[in-house]
Amino acid sequence: MEITPKIKFLGLTFDVTVMIGTLVTAILVLIIVLAATRRRDLRPRGMQNIMEMVIEFIQGITNMMLDHKKAARYLGFAVTTFLFIFIANELGVIVMITSEAHHSIPWLGLPEKAEVSWFKSPTSDINVTVAMAFAITIYAHLAGFFKGPKTYLKHYVQPYAWMLPLHIIDELAKPTTHAARLWANIFAGEVLILILAEGAKYITWLPLGAWLGFSLFVGAIQAYIFTVLAMVYISQKIADEH
Amino acid sequence: MNLAILAGGIMIAFGALAAGIGNGVLFSRYLEGIARQPEARGTLFGQSMVALGLVEALPIISIAFGLLVLFGVIGG
Repeated sequence: MEITPKIKFLGLTFDVTVMIGTLVTAILVLIIVLAATRRRDLRPRGMQNIMEMVIEFIQGITNMMLDHKKAARYLGFAVTTFLFIFIANELGVIVMITSEAHHSIPWLGLPEKAEVSWFKSPTSDINVTVAMAFAITIYAHLAGFFKGPKTYLKHYVQPYAWMLPLHIIDELAKPTTHAARLWANIFAGEVLILILAEGAKYITWLPLGAWLGFSLFVGAIQAYIFTVLAMVYISQKIADEH
Repeated sequence: MNLAILAGGIMIAFGALAAGIGNGVLFSRYLEGIARQPEARGTLFGQSMVALGLVEALPIISIAFGLLVLFGVIGG
């Protein structure tokens, strides 16, 4: 296992690799979106075509969960989430930068003679996915509470009052699995890539190639599922009763 | 230390076993659906891929924690 450089600041530990990864992903998403929408045309061409396809694809998700007026409000959030996670997942498969430390560097927390990872997918760190999932869950709960405090509180004791602990476990399990699902897929994928890449070069190239292709596929699927589940969790709290 | 390696191995093995059973059930039903209604192939394919992502999640969580135990990051 390689280690990541960490900075201690005000009693908190910051992972430099995650910060680099998140920053690069965010900038890349911004560049792609700006490049796609710079010269807009009524007849979409090239990048604009792809971007419109992505937005219509996400529109399908939001319209499925919410009525059209609310769906339009959450479209931007859903597209942002999808693009960020998609680019992050695929970056980790394509680019991985590691180096070897010869001397110990105390302010980065690096011991002597260690494999140091400088760039990997930010979603392969559990802190990133947990932060995203819990932010979405907290938003969903707050939105549900301010939409109708009575309905929100009442749903915890429905259909019976003794089901309250079950509801609380349910609400805690949602963000936990939401985060762990994305993290575990990307993390296990990257570890397997590293193991295969370190194996005998003449034997493991075929499984390595197959696994790289599968990792690209898994990254796309997991980005889609994360977005769908985020919209499901939000729509459960804010959707009107039928 | 040896027990940690054993624990990691068991976690990875059962994760793979569970994923195999889950994917087997999922895709056997998918093929049944296609055989019964060949024109629904496109819709069923998309839906089954989403279900694949959901089914794979729990085994892969087990595998990820198994890898962490195996490399001695947690436990051991």
